[in-house]
Amino acid sequence: MKNYLKIIFLIFIFIHNGLTNAESILIQNVTIFDGKTNNPYVGNVLIEDNKISRVSSSNMRGDKVIDATGKILTPGIIATDTDIGIVEIGALSVTRDDSSDLYQIGFSIYDAFNPNSVLVPWNRSNGITSAMTLPQNTDSPIGGLGSFFVLDSNLQVSGIKDNVMIGRVGGSGSKSRSETFAIIEDLLEFASSLNLKDMESYKDIADLIDDSPIAESMDLHPRDIKALYNLVNDDLPLIISANRASDLLKLIDLKLKYDLNLIIMGAQEAGLVADKIAKNNIPLIINPINNIPESFDELAANIELAAYLEKQGITLMFNAPRSHNFHLIRQGAGVAVANGMSYAGALRALTSTPVEVFNLGDRGEIVAGKVADLIIWDADPLEPSSMPEKVFINGKDIDLTSRMTRLTDRYIKNKDKPSIYRN
Amino acid sequence: MTKLIKYSFLIFACFIEANPFESTYEPLPSENILIRNANIYDGEGNEFKETDLLIQNRKIMALGKDLPVSDDFLIIDASNKWVTPGIIDIHSHMGVYPAPGVSTSADGNEATSPVTADVWAEHSIWVQDPQYALALKGGITAFHILPGSANLIGGRGVTVKNLQRNTINSMKFPDAPHSLKMACGENPKRVYGNRQQAPSTRMGNAAGYRKSWIQAKAYLNRLDEYEAKSDEAKEIGYAPQRDFEMETLAGVLRGEILVHNHCYRAEEMATMINIAKEFDYKITAFHHGVEAYKIADLLAENNICGALWADWWGFKHEAYDMVQANIAIVDQALGGKGCAIVHSDDAIGIQHLNQEASKALAAGLRAGFDITKARAMNWITSNPAKAAGIYDQTGSLKVGKNADVVIWSKNPFSVYAIVEKVFIDGATAYDRSTNFQPASDFDVGIISPEKNRIEE
Repeated sequence: MKNYLKIIFLIFIFIHNGLTNAESILIQNVTIFDGKTNNPYVGNVLIEDNKISRVSSSNMRGDKVIDATGKILTPGIIATDTDIGIVEIGALSVTRDDSSDLYQIGFSIYDAFNPNSVLVPWNRSNGITSAMTLPQNTDSPIGGLGSFFVLDSNLQVSGIKDNVMIGRVGGSGSKSRSETFAIIEDLLEFASSLNLKDMESYKDIADLIDDSPIAESMDLHPRDIKALYNLVNDDLPLIISANRASDLLKLIDLKLKYDLNLIIMGAQEAGLVADKIAKNNIPLIINPINNIPESFDELAANIELAAYLEKQGITLMFNAPRSHNFHLIRQGAGVAVANGMSYAGALRALTSTPVEVFNLGDRGEIVAGKVADLIIWDADPLEPSSMPEKVFINGKDIDLTSRMTRLTDRYIKNKDKPSIYRN
Repeated sequence: MTKLIKYSFLIFACFIEANPFESTYEPLPSENILIRNANIYDGEGNEFKETDLLIQNRKIMALGKDLPVSDDFLIIDASNKWVTPGIIDIHSHMGVYPAPGVSTSADGNEATSPVTADVWAEHSIWVQDPQYALALKGGITAFHILPGSANLIGGRGVTVKNLQRNTINSMKFPDAPHSLKMACGENPKRVYGNRQQAPSTRMGNAAGYRKSWIQAKAYLNRLDEYEAKSDEAKEIGYAPQRDFEMETLAGVLRGEILVHNHCYRAEEMATMINIAKEFDYKITAFHHGVEAYKIADLLAENNICGALWADWWGFKHEAYDMVQANIAIVDQALGGKGCAIVHSDDAIGIQHLNQEASKALAAGLRAGFDITKARAMNWITSNPAKAAGIYDQTGSLKVGKNADVVIWSKNPFSVYAIVEKVFIDGATAYDRSTNFQPASDFDVGIISPEKNRIEE
């Protein structure tokens, strides 16, 4: 009986919270970079429930009004290439959930995501409101599934499971890249032969593996085969890390042959084949601050790459060193602008473009109807010295406290007490 | 510092006639230059608006309004632009971990024994590393190349001018002292612990340093005894046999070689200070020091600089407690007596040390400190110059110093500031307007035969 009461009570709470309109928030007189169009404008943004309900230069009312005169409002930054939530400390393997010994193509990190990671408030306090979290590359040149996560610290994780596959091509030190391309082709040939009916029973898939030389020799599992099926039948975005110009061209051939939803990451030599990338509408994820010819695949690395690719009409997104240092993405974007990229283009690369490329739902832009993931900045967001003053996720005004702000306070405030008794 | 150099030369003189590793650096051809009407951070904590800077005979000759010059001076109008001293990075592995990062040139860690005080980073440097030229475009005029952190005592570091040459000697910064790289914490204990040898723990690390210093003390005593002998006695006696490891450690004990100590955790830095006191040597700077803010006063009391990142963290457990105000807290210790340095340890970071300083400054201001941009400029100019032992020659725009100067398109604390010109010893090393820039042999014809690797 008691349990029934509990359940009824919980249902009541749920309905109550679900139906009661949270108070609306009006951000007034703010300079809006909407993440889409080229020119900023001064206006007002009304947040109701979890959505942007109105954007206008005319007066509006809100339950709560935030005067943001002189401040800049942007959509929350959407990270494209992180291990947020699955790696707590890089060199500590017990805190890493980004690799599998058994699965390759179908390895998913979704169930490992930790909303309580310190990386979540840290990245949020730097203006990153949602992220694609990707596993390490697997033993297969294509494979490993990334997921999209909203960085709201809610233990009830919200995001999109397994919405992207990753892969890599390039100099490896052990085998020819020609073998890598052959494996990819064999896998895609195999995938193209699969049909929906084959996917229905575990036993059927296991039989298919036995019949396929490539699947069998790679020790693939039914989980891997399902991922391959989704890749070729569900238009699953495929992010391949590759840099050398000749590799980029080969990937374009594969995209055309197998109708892949291809995104290329790294792409340090994209400038050498920019016309073909543009012609085939292949979006790129580049790190605009990385001009180091770190390998023989990246000889053309150049600080002006972002500006050049933008001029060729190529769709660009950015990445930065994973998770802990992903905040450097704004510095990278600023460096791209300092070296010739358009300001609006750099902001799009951080906001609306990932949404379009990866189908991340109604977010990434400041227009009515979109999810209210918004940042009010204390100054130009592409200056790395700037920081968010306010962060909204799903329309909620998020507390910007992080472990870093707590530790800072510990060592600059109340110094009369031993540090262990401070805050 | 010059005195130190003379003394160190004396040690060498006991053994060898001349120092074959001495700098043979020669500056590029130069002119006398008047940089007119610039906004200036002088690297001494001062800001001057619309001021002239006079460079004559490769030196800073004057700073002031409306300086008169004769007709033969090259006049550069720097209205609305900013001028700073050449930027200096106290922690670089360019040359010893060059690009491309291939195993055949990864020469920064002699990870074959936990103490390799005998190795010198300068003997690993690849002069054709394409990264120097990239750093030059970030305003870097000098940098300190250290061995890596695999070892407790990793060997000697060297300061070089950022002018690529075909020999190491001709890149070495004249009269700059060597450093000794030491490393705390996870790296040495991981590298050797994984091989089932000492050290495998932090206490093993501490024992390892102390054992070495005991040997070094004994060696130094023998050396002192020998040197105290009369010339006649020296002729009939035997000089202590040369020992590269001991020569380096004795150089530290004599104050001629500067200790640069990779160390993240607060308590480990404090332990290293104890060991330095036990054996009577000085630690010049702790590097990386992600937890330096926890013992900022202790560092200031001991005149130890913190060579730190603005916000790089999390790659290992000892780098987990990062705060963005770390550099500012170290700077402001004991009422502003701290010594803060922004370092890179990274071939990308070294190109943007101004931006790193900008982030560190902004975090300091948010934490409530009152720090000027002019002071924050010291973090990437005079403070690293002091830690490298070259402050008498460079690191600020004091009259009489080498004319190592950068002209920026905008205030260098902005991400949009681009380096327009770099002068090293009064000579143009980089000029964006005329596309005058160095390219290493590596860059030549490597993608397409008729071009250099990067052509802007």
